[in-house]
Amino acid sequence: MSSSHTKDASFLGGRIPAEIESMSKNLKDVDQELFRKILKAVVSALEGKDSREAMKSIAESSIIPQERLSHIVAGMYKVLSEAIRIPTSSLKQEAFREDLRELRIPEDFITDFSSVVFGNRRAALDAATSQNDPHLPTVEDFKWRVDVAISTSSLARALQPSVLMQMKLSDGSFHRFEVPVSKFQELRYNVALILKEMNDLEKRNILKIQD
Amino acid sequence: MTSFIKETQSSIKEAVTFINAIDVNKFSRLISRIIQKLHLKGERTFSEEEEDKLQAALSLDKQALNLVLETAAFILEQAVYHNVKPTSLQQQLEAVHLNPDKAEVISQTWATAGPEVVEKLKHSTFAPKKLEYVGWQLNLQMAQSSQARLKSPSAVLQLGLRNEDSEVQENVFVDFNHQELLDFYNKLEIVQGQLDTLT
Repeated sequence: MSSSHTKDASFLGGRIPAEIESMSKNLKDVDQELFRKILKAVVSALEGKDSREAMKSIAESSIIPQERLSHIVAGMYKVLSEAIRIPTSSLKQEAFREDLRELRIPEDFITDFSSVVFGNRRAALDAATSQNDPHLPTVEDFKWRVDVAISTSSLARALQPSVLMQMKLSDGSFHRFEVPVSKFQELRYNVALILKEMNDLEKRNILKIQD
Repeated sequence: MTSFIKETQSSIKEAVTFINAIDVNKFSRLISRIIQKLHLKGERTFSEEEEDKLQAALSLDKQALNLVLETAAFILEQAVYHNVKPTSLQQQLEAVHLNPDKAEVISQTWATAGPEVVEKLKHSTFAPKKLEYVGWQLNLQMAQSSQARLKSPSAVLQLGLRNEDSEVQENVFVDFNHQELLDFYNKLEIVQGQLDTLT
C-alpha cells in the first residue's frame, strides 16, 4: 500500500517570488553571524522602525558586494513578510520549514527564520504590520457624563436628564455631543444587537469556512 | 403663586388697552401663531410684509403693533417659564384688566398648545452637537494587506451628529472589533445604571 504524499503549495503560493530565488543562490557565502545581523535589521524594518543605520553598518563591515547583499536582504524580507501574513493556525512550523528546505536554504537559517515567525515576538510583529492597513478610526478614549438640567433661561423647572459623550478616535478626531435619553436607549439597544449578531457569526463561521 | 404679570410693568397697561380693542377672532389667530413659534428663539414670528398687513388689519400703527406682539410673546414666555396652569393664567390676565374674552383666548390656547412648547424647550440644549442618528454595519473581514485568512468580525457604527442651529448632519464612522464593542457596551451599561438612579 503506497501512500502518495501530495504536498500543499508552498506558503509562498504557486510561483516563487524572484527576490527569494535570487536570495537562495546568494546565501551560500553568508555565515550565520552575518545572517543573524541582517535578520535583525529586516525584522526591525517589518516592525516599522527605521533600519537604515543598521543596514549601512552591515554593508560597510561585510566583504560581500552590495549588490549581492541587496538581493539577500530583499529575499529575507519577502520570506518573512509572506510568512507572517498567514495566521499561525494555518501555517504550521513543519510545513514552513519544509517549504524553505525546498528552496535550498541551509538548515540553520531555516531555524532562525522559524524563530521569528513562530516565536514570542510574532504577536508584536503582527500588530505592527496591521497598523498600515486601511481601516476606519476606532475609539481611543471614551468619556461620558449624565446631566440633569434643573432650569434654563426658558424653563424654571426643566428636570431633564441627558447624556454627554466625548470620543477621541484613533485618527486624532475629537467629538463631543449630547445624547438625548431616547437616543441613548436606541444606541444601547443597537450595540447589544450587534454583539448578539457577532456571537452568532462567530459560532457559525468556524464550522463553515475551512482553511 | 405670585403673579408674573403686573400692571406696574411699564408697558403692560398700554398694551392691554390696544389688545382690548382688537377683534377677538383676529386676536385668537394672532396668539396661535405666536405660540407656535415660541420655541424658536431668535426667529421673527412675522415677516416684515406680514407685520405691514397686520397693521392694516388691526388698525394699529407700527409702534402699537410691536407693543402688542412683544407683550403677547412675553405673556406666553412667562407662562412657559413658570409652567403656569391655564386658570391661573386667566386670573392674572383679568387682574391686569385684559377683557375676559381675550384672557380666555390666551388661556385656552395655552391649555392646548402649551404643554408641547414646554416639552420642546425641555429638550433644546446648549450642547454644540446632538446625536440624532444611529446606524451600523456588521462585517466579516477576510483579509488585509498585512494579514491573510482573517475571518474577524468588525462592526462599523455610524453616528449622525447635528448642530443645534444647522440642518447638516455630520457622520462619524467608528470601527469596533468584538472586544472593543464589548468594552463599549459595558460602559453604556454603567451610564444606564446612572440614568436609572434618576427616575
